[in-house]
Amino acid sequence: MEDSVKILTILKQVPDAEARVRAQDGAVDLDGVTFVIDGMDEYGVEEALRLREGGSAAASVEEVVAVALGPQRFEEALRTALAMGADRAVHVETDAALDPVAQAQVLAAVAREEGADLILVGGKQADWDSAALGAAVAESLGWPLSDWTTELTVEGDGLRTRHDTDDGSEALELPLPAVVTTQQGLNEPRYPTLPNIMKAKRKELAKRTLEEFGAPAAKTVTVRQEIQTRERLGKLVDGEPEEAARELARLLADEAKVLS
Amino acid sequence: MIDFELTEEQRQFQSLARQFAREVIKPVAAEHDREESYPEAVVRRGHELGLLNTIVPESVGGLGLGSLDEAIIGEELGYGCMGIYTIFMASELGITPLLLAGSPEQQERFLAPLLSGPKLAAFALSEPDNGSDAGAMKTRAVFDGDDVVLNGTKMWISNGDRAEFTVVFATFDPAQRHRGTLAVVVEKGRQGFSARKLHGKLGQRASPTAELVFENVRVPRANVLGEPGDGFAIAMRTLDRTRIPVAAGSVGVARRALDEALGYASQRHAFGKPIAQFQAIQFKLAEMKIGIETARWQTYHAAWLADRGEPHGEAAAIAKAYASDMAFRSADEALNVHGGYGYVNEYPVEKLMRDVKLNQIYEGTNEIQRLVIARGLLKRLLE
Repeated sequence: MEDSVKILTILKQVPDAEARVRAQDGAVDLDGVTFVIDGMDEYGVEEALRLREGGSAAASVEEVVAVALGPQRFEEALRTALAMGADRAVHVETDAALDPVAQAQVLAAVAREEGADLILVGGKQADWDSAALGAAVAESLGWPLSDWTTELTVEGDGLRTRHDTDDGSEALELPLPAVVTTQQGLNEPRYPTLPNIMKAKRKELAKRTLEEFGAPAAKTVTVRQEIQTRERLGKLVDGEPEEAARELARLLADEAKVLS
Repeated sequence: MIDFELTEEQRQFQSLARQFAREVIKPVAAEHDREESYPEAVVRRGHELGLLNTIVPESVGGLGLGSLDEAIIGEELGYGCMGIYTIFMASELGITPLLLAGSPEQQERFLAPLLSGPKLAAFALSEPDNGSDAGAMKTRAVFDGDDVVLNGTKMWISNGDRAEFTVVFATFDPAQRHRGTLAVVVEKGRQGFSARKLHGKLGQRASPTAELVFENVRVPRANVLGEPGDGFAIAMRTLDRTRIPVAAGSVGVARRALDEALGYASQRHAFGKPIAQFQAIQFKLAEMKIGIETARWQTYHAAWLADRGEPHGEAAAIAKAYASDMAFRSADEALNVHGGYGYVNEYPVEKLMRDVKLNQIYEGTNEIQRLVIARGLLKRLLE
């Protein structure tokens, strides 16, 4: 029976959803792109903080630790989590390109070292739209998984969750320790306030190396990257509303062929 | 030593302010402009996030942000809506005289209570008959025992009808001109004090502007900042600092104008291609970019000097005049890019132009800024 729960929240720093990304010479060119904390992961940070702020009486949260595995810029996502209210952060800093399974091995090692009871991570990672990381971490640790979670409570020494399936949703019960992947609908992440941004400066952000966690090699190698781009037509229909609507209907029927 | 990099913390301030501008300010800006209404929910949220009254010192429980921090945040809020940003900015303007000349006791008494809610401060210098010529102020202060008694009228006072306190400048000896002035804190609700909200402004209509009337308003002498005689100097030192956020807000407006122009120019077609492909449009966009970058660095430079405690009056005057003139031109050019659509309020560019016009006027007209700059140039030559 766990008296108090230690939560790990896994983060990435990814291109802003509004950023225009190009591929050049078979690799994505991130020059000049603005990065933000992965929105999917942010739900996890928020949920950890809500659990600590006393969701259910049974859950006393010992600590919320933000963890990131990736290049230097990921530090900013960790700072954001600290400013939102996480207690401290661990950054396994590497420029190595690791696939989700290799990443999961490192993150599982961090979780073991930290003695984590609950791991929160985004349902999918916005950088390559992989939805594998949470599942791979659970697999690595041999822990139960609730993916695409929209409701979460800690009850006794287990969790009750609701998660999305293709056709609807399911209510789950799972024992701790466990992995939960988060998504839209779970909560509304808070803004890091100015005072908390300033307090975050004094919080611990530990830098670790990949070697300290066994430096697993990537199991898959990305040979070439391309980005699917489809130019918008960018057609503006001007004029009086009735006239413009008629023209729009004609275009949808004759040119786009989506109306008959 | 030159370092153009923002600190990690400043980048976070920036991203918070940017998010706030995008999600909280921008969606309601047009409505408050149209209705000339006070954006109460925005100010409340701003307070919750710590974006209001940021320069209140740590010694009384505030965040104690510096001038550069304020400029970084100001640019983002100005991007969202200059009128709404003026509410935040004018409150910092009301706080600044207390930072410069308030005793620890006065800072504690007046600034600490501001932190408990979405509360505002104000600064009252201009009068119906004088603005740039502040030394000619007519509002009278008469000492009476332990009190100061005020009579007169102040004009164009941002936040004046809502402020918890207003720093009022008055003359106790008109014969001494500047040297016969004082700065005194007048709390909301003092007997004989009334505020009338002004209507019909061209722009920045979300920001409340008031006329303040003082009829035998009695405040304790302990509310006087510094010594009697310091009034004018306190006002000028305050404006030397607060012109920096005016410049920052202007940069925000110009950036918004550029973004709107870019968006429209890449969508709108003429002669078979997006108008962004015509040099006539490209030159306008490039000109805006030139202005934004140069104005931002001048603003940061002035803020940096202020934070180091170095003379910054001239740098702030350059930043304020240059940034606000540049922002007005940018809004004008963005409107040109939009053609007829720019002239109606369905698109946000006409509001940018109306709003930023005020940045050329308040906190010292741009003509006054040029006087400040020229005086510095000629000081030694003409002495």
